[in-house]
Amino acid sequence: MGSRYLGRRIVQALVTILMIVLLNFVLFRMMPGSPERAITRNPSISADTKAALRAKWGLDKPVFPDQFASYVVATFQGDFGLSFKYRGQPVTEVLGSRIWPTVILFGLGEIIAIVIGMGLGAYAGWRRGGVVDYVGNGISLVLYSTPYFVLGMFLLVIFATTLGWFPTFGMLSAGAHYDSFIDQLIDFARHLALPLATVSLGLVGLYSILMRSSIIETLAEDYVQTARAKGLRDGHILRAHALPNAMLPAVTIVAIQIGYVIAGAITAEVVFNWPGIGTLTVDALSSRDYPVLQGIFLLLAVSVVIANLLADLVYGLLDPRVRA
Amino acid sequence: MTAGTIAVGDVRAARFRLRLRRIRDFGARLLRRQDGLVGIGILLVFAVLAIAPDLFVGRLQTAVSAEGGRFEAPSAAYLFGTDRIGRDILNLTVHGTRISMLIGLLSTVVTVLLGTVIGIVSGFVGGVLDNVLMRISDFFLVLPTFVLALILAPILLDIFGTSAEVAGMRMTLIVIVVVIGITSWASTARIVRSQTLSLRERAFVDRARVVGAGPTWIMARHILPNVVNLIVANAVLTFAGAVLTETTLSFIGLGDPFQPSWGQLLNQAQSDGAPGLGAWWVILPPGAAIVLVVLAFTLLGSAMDDILNPKLRGRR
Amino acid sequence: MHVPLRARAARVAMSALLAVGALLPAAVPAVAQEETTLRVGTTQDLDSMNPFQTALVVGFEAFALNYELLVAFDQKLGPAPGYAESWTANSAGTEYTFKIPAGKKWSDGKPATAEDARWTFQLVLDALNSEAGSLCLGYIDPDVKNAAVESVSAPDAQTLVVKLSRKSDRILQTYVPILPKHIWESKDATTICDDKFDPPIVGSGPFQAQEWQTGQNVRFEANPNWTQSKLAPTEVILTFFETEDTMAQALRNNELDYAQGVLSDQFNQLKGQPNIATTAGEANGFTELGFNTYGTGTGKTIAGGGPSTKALLDPLFRDAVGYAIDKPLLVERVLGGYGVPGTTQVPPVQTRWHKEPATVREFNIDTAKQKLDAAGYRLDGQNRRLDKEGKPIVLDLVFPDSDSTYPTSAEFIKEWWGQLGIAINPSQYDSDTLIDLMLPPEAGDYKADYDLFIWGWGGSADPNALLEIFTCDQIGNSSDSLWCNEEYDRLFEEQNIAPTYEERKALMDQAQDLMYTEAPYHILYYDAALHAWRTDKFTGWANQPENGTPLFGYGPWGYLQLRLVGDEPTPGPSAPGAASPGASAPPGNGGQSTGSSNNTLLIVGGLGLLALVVVAGAVLVRRRSVRTEEE
Repeated sequence: MGSRYLGRRIVQALVTILMIVLLNFVLFRMMPGSPERAITRNPSISADTKAALRAKWGLDKPVFPDQFASYVVATFQGDFGLSFKYRGQPVTEVLGSRIWPTVILFGLGEIIAIVIGMGLGAYAGWRRGGVVDYVGNGISLVLYSTPYFVLGMFLLVIFATTLGWFPTFGMLSAGAHYDSFIDQLIDFARHLALPLATVSLGLVGLYSILMRSSIIETLAEDYVQTARAKGLRDGHILRAHALPNAMLPAVTIVAIQIGYVIAGAITAEVVFNWPGIGTLTVDALSSRDYPVLQGIFLLLAVSVVIANLLADLVYGLLDPRVRA
Repeated sequence: MTAGTIAVGDVRAARFRLRLRRIRDFGARLLRRQDGLVGIGILLVFAVLAIAPDLFVGRLQTAVSAEGGRFEAPSAAYLFGTDRIGRDILNLTVHGTRISMLIGLLSTVVTVLLGTVIGIVSGFVGGVLDNVLMRISDFFLVLPTFVLALILAPILLDIFGTSAEVAGMRMTLIVIVVVIGITSWASTARIVRSQTLSLRERAFVDRARVVGAGPTWIMARHILPNVVNLIVANAVLTFAGAVLTETTLSFIGLGDPFQPSWGQLLNQAQSDGAPGLGAWWVILPPGAAIVLVVLAFTLLGSAMDDILNPKLRGRR
Repeated sequence: MHVPLRARAARVAMSALLAVGALLPAAVPAVAQEETTLRVGTTQDLDSMNPFQTALVVGFEAFALNYELLVAFDQKLGPAPGYAESWTANSAGTEYTFKIPAGKKWSDGKPATAEDARWTFQLVLDALNSEAGSLCLGYIDPDVKNAAVESVSAPDAQTLVVKLSRKSDRILQTYVPILPKHIWESKDATTICDDKFDPPIVGSGPFQAQEWQTGQNVRFEANPNWTQSKLAPTEVILTFFETEDTMAQALRNNELDYAQGVLSDQFNQLKGQPNIATTAGEANGFTELGFNTYGTGTGKTIAGGGPSTKALLDPLFRDAVGYAIDKPLLVERVLGGYGVPGTTQVPPVQTRWHKEPATVREFNIDTAKQKLDAAGYRLDGQNRRLDKEGKPIVLDLVFPDSDSTYPTSAEFIKEWWGQLGIAINPSQYDSDTLIDLMLPPEAGDYKADYDLFIWGWGGSADPNALLEIFTCDQIGNSSDSLWCNEEYDRLFEEQNIAPTYEERKALMDQAQDLMYTEAPYHILYYDAALHAWRTDKFTGWANQPENGTPLFGYGPWGYLQLRLVGDEPTPGPSAPGAASPGASAPPGNGGQSTGSSNNTLLIVGGLGLLALVVVAGAVLVRRRSVRTEEE
């Protein structure tokens, strides 16, 4: 891969991140709301106190250049400001405690979905028109069309409310003391089961559909036909020729899809009270905690840009045709 | 002169007949495919429900006109049961069809319109403008659009103001339409642009230019008709995405309680505690409706795409 | 050696099934629960551990566990020993002397003396006397101001003397947490606002916060130096839920011992469950339909804002439409029967202060029509009610999205008033946007652009705050009806400084009657506080006040009544040093903190994830190498 290509992609990504930082500033200056609103419905608050609060959040200075300059400087120093709702806790702290639950839920969900979805898709595409293809593709299409929260609410009604197999909220039983780490892990796993099932099922449909069409396309390529003509065994052709080539676009799309997965993340977490970035987003939105929202937006946007960049680089690394 | 007029008229009529035949041909091919047929079938049912919900279930029930008990399970009187304030779920779901589909339709129109105009202009004019527009679309492609939508909605509500209605739609819903439009035009623009790029070099565009046609005219009369195929298939898929996005935004709480879409119904089910009460009947009908409609659009969209753009198969 | 794809897929499926099987309850022992942990759930999310920086009930609950009030509240909300064990007043009632018990200790073992109480009260007084005039968010200091505290002094370690500027007994109900001076000495009334009060907390209350996981829970441990009574719970975990639904289910599944504020349908469901008890307490608050009466008493108007018709400023109009609100029906349909139709601004739960109006408006559309006609609001040919300027009355009704009962109530009111010829446009906003929309020019660049609103208020132990929101001074602050009435202001001021209960009550009665008659608000209903708790671990649940709820009352009273099931009841305070909390803790509690093991878990989870990624990567690479070999 040419270093020029690499350099150009990295510069592009940096420019995009810069634009995101700018957009973030503009958007949040436009949003209605300010920290002193939390206290406006309080009978005995003075104008001085309100002014002091505005000063604490730097809102007493002119938007440009003062607020803007301090925002840019702070952002690049990793300082996302102070939360309105949590009365001045640093946003980085608020975000920090919520990142891991989301990473675990969606990391595991992605892996399960990739394994099952791509396996199903590959097999369905390979045996195109067969029973597995019909049933599997049908299920994939339905799952793909189902919003995460609809899926989640159903799993909740069936497995938590009606059958009582799984707990309904959170990540660990509140107030539980564990005899061993294994006990704790089991408790964690029981809480994780339904949200993880929701996320995995939601993604399986997408990945299976992608992989299926990717395989079908690959099978039509000349070298597969050649391999067939050479009399190589079917299974061998699939594993050695079709799969690796079909994986490439599919894996790339997985990275590109991360932006869309986030929407699902938010709703799935809300349904199950999973203490991650998704529930934090909704909380911050409903309490108009703009600094936190701003931090989330920046975090997610930058992650997506980086994921895309990595996908591009990996693609360029694996596919010699992509070199511009 | 007279002869010329007749000739133009003839050509027009011929073109019209040709187009009609193509559409008929296209329709026949679509219906011959299983996925196309199923998609159209489902959508027809929902379209009928959306156009005349009153015909099937009467007027939209409100807290005042509701007659059922709290969270009644499905029975002969209430096929799909009732919600917290005794409203008939069947009634709400059927009326939700109209609102969900209308938001989906309007959002799709906004998205496709924005995407097509930006795509054609960017591809046709080229140069710096193309570069700028495409950087912007790149930007929108990588942004987590859903989070952006969550942030944009309150801003737009603040700008547009309060309880205003546009053509019987409450402002909250209009804001959802605008938000979906703003956040999802980029991929349409990309597809249209790449097609425009190849069309620009074609002979008929050159001929039009030689004859002295202005750029606007060429874009409208020569480029646009040739990207319509792309747009149509893309629009159907966009519709599916728009319904999903609307549903999710409403579920998060950006919907309107007085014009409930399916997402809003699920939001109410969640906030009324239906999952914990085991009131599955409050969740199932709107949930199933969403799945069916998105599925139908996905099937139809991919079928249309296969027929209209055979070369592009699998390259999405 | 190639394993066929199908076989491999089957193996993956098998192991997935096994993994799921391992998660089923049948296969695992139930999670070991700490037998003396009290698990309390709420749908509020703690905003701050700093007592002066919280605006939420849950924040007040947290600091009432961490710290003691100078004087606590007993079950009937009367004064009870708190930080001070006893007190006397001088004959004029203008000076109180509090006795702090000797040998009292903070949770860290340092002596707790009168000096700590003096320091805390002085902090509040400093804030009141500062330019800002309030302390941080301003929820704590009004009590001290209304108690007419002039100065505090601590002549010795056991004596606190409070001098008042007038006769008053309200020093006995000041909701001020006594802070340990040795921890906070370096802070003043301004800098203390910026402190986050990071746990572990040092306090003298029964339980101190040890860790706070933002948005999830706070863990409190019993105060080792609590000698006032035996503490049954050794640990309290306060968990924050996103929805009432999950909280109710957690209670049912024995993941929780107490749930604050479930929805009416869940409440009905929980009522029938074994080992669960419920109470529909009366909440100290109400839900109102308010009018924008901007200009009442002042004649001021707002360009591009304010009420859309002068009719809203007319008490006769507001009185007339009040007959077209069927409050009992709202309670039945909107609240599921849990609540009381509303009248005045002091809720009936305040039995000492609530005044029921002599005549209550009975729902009757015809009466409303007649009264409107009589007041000069006539119908036009199209059945539209006209104001005195001859314009059809069309009202914007706004409400926040924080409560799903608001839009339902709005639909009913729209229907009833529609029958009067008054059109209503309802719309929903998030609370912050709504505040912006409703603020008047007095608060800055605002327009008060609305006609009607549905919203609620919650009160504190003293009804003062619920009375104050109708005063002229609050326009631009907490007043949302923007109503201004000199007579009301006079009554409010006088009741606030009335020296005796009887005098204060008489004035407060007049203020309530005046509000009801003039009707800047129609109080729709007093919501019920629907709480539920498990009875299989703790007993002794008692409401505070008696028509209230066991927890989330006033101070830690409810927590102190709890006993372990099977434990001998030990009523009354025990001798100092006799009871050692934690003595009832069963063996086997390794004292492992939930928080730290949480982190371990996350790290292990992260490592597991990493391992999976590496494996997945390896598989990919292997496939790739296969390809390159064979091509």
